[in-house]
Amino acid sequence: MAKLDNKKLLACCANGAGSSLMMENAINKVMKKHGIKPAELRHCPVSEGKSAARSYDVVFCAKTFAKTFEEAVKSGNTVLIPLRNVMSPAEIEKALQAKGLLD
Amino acid sequence: MAEKSVLQRIVERRHFKFVDSVDSWEEAVKLCCEPLVETGYTAPDYYKQIVDCVKKYGPYMVFDHYVAMPHSQENAEGAFKTAVGFMRVKNIVDFGTDADGEKKEAKLFFPLVAVNPEEHLENMQQLMEIFMNEPLLDALMEAETPEDILKAEAEHPMEEEDF
Repeated sequence: MAKLDNKKLLACCANGAGSSLMMENAINKVMKKHGIKPAELRHCPVSEGKSAARSYDVVFCAKTFAKTFEEAVKSGNTVLIPLRNVMSPAEIEKALQAKGLLD
Repeated sequence: MAEKSVLQRIVERRHFKFVDSVDSWEEAVKLCCEPLVETGYTAPDYYKQIVDCVKKYGPYMVFDHYVAMPHSQENAEGAFKTAVGFMRVKNIVDFGTDADGEKKEAKLFFPLVAVNPEEHLENMQQLMEIFMNEPLLDALMEAETPEDILKAEAEHPMEEEDF
């Protein structure tokens, strides 16, 4: 079973309407390529994500929000993945592999 | 898949603008929203939320290849109808640097208004393809007229990325 099967994934950006939606699409492409079925994959604005982050296994954000989320997830087990290019499945794939979450 | 592409709808609804240069990125954000204001898709003040957001979080709405996607939240104040706009600025618009010191610059602006979630999702999926299609972006940077936008799209069809 793939490591991200049944995990909860969240993509966040400031507004929850633009880049987080693109991230969700890009993450979805990576999941499909690797045949992974996450329990949940959604996007939301930072304001909501800050409190919700800890109940997710992996949180993706544009790197500009990395500091915001580092604080929010520091006491839990949530893995934070800051991205340079939010619409790049290749970057997402690489980042997940670097964290050992993807083969 | 909608029968019309995002770029076709931009042309049809006259949501485009061609500008040579601007004094600031703030002005660019205001200008690219103007066609959306004139056609009743947003309130005149909508752009201010975008400017405030960039000031607060940095230029994260500016992507690779001189692409900017100015937008606010879904159902933001002053967002009336779902749309994507287009503005080409001939001279580079400087958005400063991001937190890591990387320069953020734009020539192509795709302002978003999100009200209808399905239509917005469809718009975003198409925009992602456009933003990854560098030959198309290059052609759009050279566009001078709405006809050029359609021609660019026809000449540079979306490629199935080999991801």
